[in-house]
Amino acid sequence: MTIAEVQSEARFAAWVGELAADPDRRGQLTGLLREDLPLYDQRGTATIVRMRGWILVTLARSEISDAALVFVLEELDTGFDPYLVAAAARALRSYPRPAAAFAPLVLRALTNIRYRDELVSFETYGEYAVGPTGTTPVRELLATLAWLGPHARETLPELESLRMEGGGLARKYRAELDRASAAIRNGNPIDESGDSCCALPGGVQLSWPFRARSSSAALDEVVFEDQDGTPANFNELFQGHVSIVAFFYTRCDNPLKCSLTIAKLARIQQMLEARGLTAQVSTAAITYDPAYDVPERLRVYGRDRGVRMDGHHRMLRTRDGLEAVRRHFQLGVNFIESLVNRHRVEVYVLDRQGRIAASFQRLRWDEEEVVDRSVEVLQEKEEVEPAVPARPAGMMFPMLGTLAGLAMAFFPKCPICWAAYLSVFGIAGLNQVAYSPWLKAALLALVMVNVVSVWFRGRATRRMTGFYLVSLGALAMVSTMQFGWKGTAFAGVALTMAGSLLSARRAAVAPAI
Amino acid sequence: MATKRKRAASGRKSATSATKVHRSARAAVSVATNPKRTTKERVAASADAPLAICEDDKSLQAMLEVLRNRNEPVKVRLAALQSIQAASFSVVAFESCRADYIATLRSIADDPDPEIRQRVLGILAREKDGFAQKKLLEGLENPEKALVPPEKALQLLGYDLKAEAYAAAREIVSKPPNEDARREALRILSADATAAPVFEKLLQDKDETAEIRQLSASALQALKPEKLQTYARKILMDASDFDEIKATSLTALTQFGDEEAVSKDEELKKQVDEMSTKASPKVKQSARRFMTKYSR
Repeated sequence: MTIAEVQSEARFAAWVGELAADPDRRGQLTGLLREDLPLYDQRGTATIVRMRGWILVTLARSEISDAALVFVLEELDTGFDPYLVAAAARALRSYPRPAAAFAPLVLRALTNIRYRDELVSFETYGEYAVGPTGTTPVRELLATLAWLGPHARETLPELESLRMEGGGLARKYRAELDRASAAIRNGNPIDESGDSCCALPGGVQLSWPFRARSSSAALDEVVFEDQDGTPANFNELFQGHVSIVAFFYTRCDNPLKCSLTIAKLARIQQMLEARGLTAQVSTAAITYDPAYDVPERLRVYGRDRGVRMDGHHRMLRTRDGLEAVRRHFQLGVNFIESLVNRHRVEVYVLDRQGRIAASFQRLRWDEEEVVDRSVEVLQEKEEVEPAVPARPAGMMFPMLGTLAGLAMAFFPKCPICWAAYLSVFGIAGLNQVAYSPWLKAALLALVMVNVVSVWFRGRATRRMTGFYLVSLGALAMVSTMQFGWKGTAFAGVALTMAGSLLSARRAAVAPAI
Repeated sequence: MATKRKRAASGRKSATSATKVHRSARAAVSVATNPKRTTKERVAASADAPLAICEDDKSLQAMLEVLRNRNEPVKVRLAALQSIQAASFSVVAFESCRADYIATLRSIADDPDPEIRQRVLGILAREKDGFAQKKLLEGLENPEKALVPPEKALQLLGYDLKAEAYAAAREIVSKPPNEDARREALRILSADATAAPVFEKLLQDKDETAEIRQLSASALQALKPEKLQTYARKILMDASDFDEIKATSLTALTQFGDEEAVSKDEELKKQVDEMSTKASPKVKQSARRFMTKYSR
């Protein structure tokens, strides 16, 4: 059976069973937890909960791998469905070794889920608890804390407060709570040196550096629209400066995902401002739900979460081309009709060429870490980065314009001038060189092409100084030709060159978008 | 000193009064769950019980048993349901009861009494409960298994935008078993941006009922506000159109209209100005808000 053949939930459950029974294919179960699989397309959220929950329950029946660990921790960190959280808590206990880094996530899950506690059943696929039997997420989380034993020592004060009357956990969990506390206190002391509070085991990473950065050429045609309804393409928005890009949607009902992500983006903006990096690092939040998230909604959603919105920091939706964006960022999202049915937390740092330099996925990211990573990308030397294939003409036009300006300034104005030039360079055979006044028009055209190109670049980067200089240069050269003002020729060439180079240096001097 | 004494006395008084309330709530639980008392007494007692339901497991289990027991009078069971539901509004106090309550509701979702079924499914659907959604969808696909009428099933599924109700809703819009089911199906589709063309068509169709056109206007306002603005002007200039649609159109233009274009539209402003004095109260109110914004 393949993903494409899995139509009904019954077939899905059978397939999961097949994979679990085959030691050679068991590893494929972890891959099924990726949100972007066609398996989850056009399924309701409740169905996805049943499917993902069943994968976690199946994984929990034997040892879970390092690859599966991040999905388990993600559910504990941001999950708010009782079945998924209970399954994740159980799955974590089948990881080969407990670690102190798990404890805060388990405790966080306990805080998140305690008021949504429900009986859940893990006996068969899709079964809902309809009687007093079964387990609950709170019970599973307490059992996981007991499994962590002394590794969860940091959580003891919190567990004590959960034991108190009024504000504490329900009395029916008192026995499990006491068992967990005793296991934590009485377990053999652990070697703290090898068990950091923050480092996740098994190579689980909170962020992924993208060493092989792929070009953003596929997004050239995608048109975005910001919170004010202003359209812009990908290059205009993300080229020429480092960017921090978060994904979200306004109809997200998990407060630990989109709403928190956008509030944290606002915090990132404050940190960038405090470090004086507002002009060098831009921020953007792109919605997964562009059809519904019209500019008005984007503006209100951002404003309510303290997001600064201007030409450098924007809330965006795609006017068209969400599919291209989804492919480029390999977004962890799926849909039912036009609505998001499941997504992961994801934030990206883009380099000056709009390529993905780092990503922060699944687990809650730290604002400081994202800002630090963006500063590292900012400090990268441009020359060590390979050129972006999608922008081969990036430097060509300004250089061409400068050469054209030089050629125009020193263009021989009459047949005698031609002779003079040729004699200077010692070229014999004057009669072999044709007098070509059309060259003047061609060079003038090239200068104009340069002016227009610099204008486009200025518009994209919102830095028009280069354009003004090039325009003055062109005016000076035209004056030279028209009125024979000799002094203006060199000024014209210098201004054209300065303007062209300034415009071409867009990546080094971070302009506002 | 006197103030301190007064405060202490007042504190003691309120503590005593709270104890009294709890004692009376515990007594109410005991009456509500006692099969020897009359139906009337038990129903009345259930109303006073919520405060005590989650105080101890015994009270909760006794109330849940009344709710589960199909031999109990329906009125008593409904009163018990209402009482536990009232207790659930205090989220923190209800923490210890929630798991058993939800499981009990699922166990009686197929109760022989239609009112209990509907109420139970309603509570679960508001919780976006997967079990309830599955039962409701099964009923839409196979009417023989339906626990509630299709219009009710659609209405309950509408509590979760991400339930799998879109295919069923489209099917019902194309072949509606009744007008109520069609309306509820459209209500579900109003969350899906790809359904906007359906609502454009319905809004322009003057043969549709005022309710359907009103629903279409609201859907367009959410999905494609700019489209609604285009139609809003046309509707306002049409003297024969429904008042409800006009009021929605006025609201759309007032809230989201292109300020520059609307301010310059003298013909529209004149028409709305007339509405602000000569139309129904609802339209008048909306027209006045419109004029306040655009006649400045």
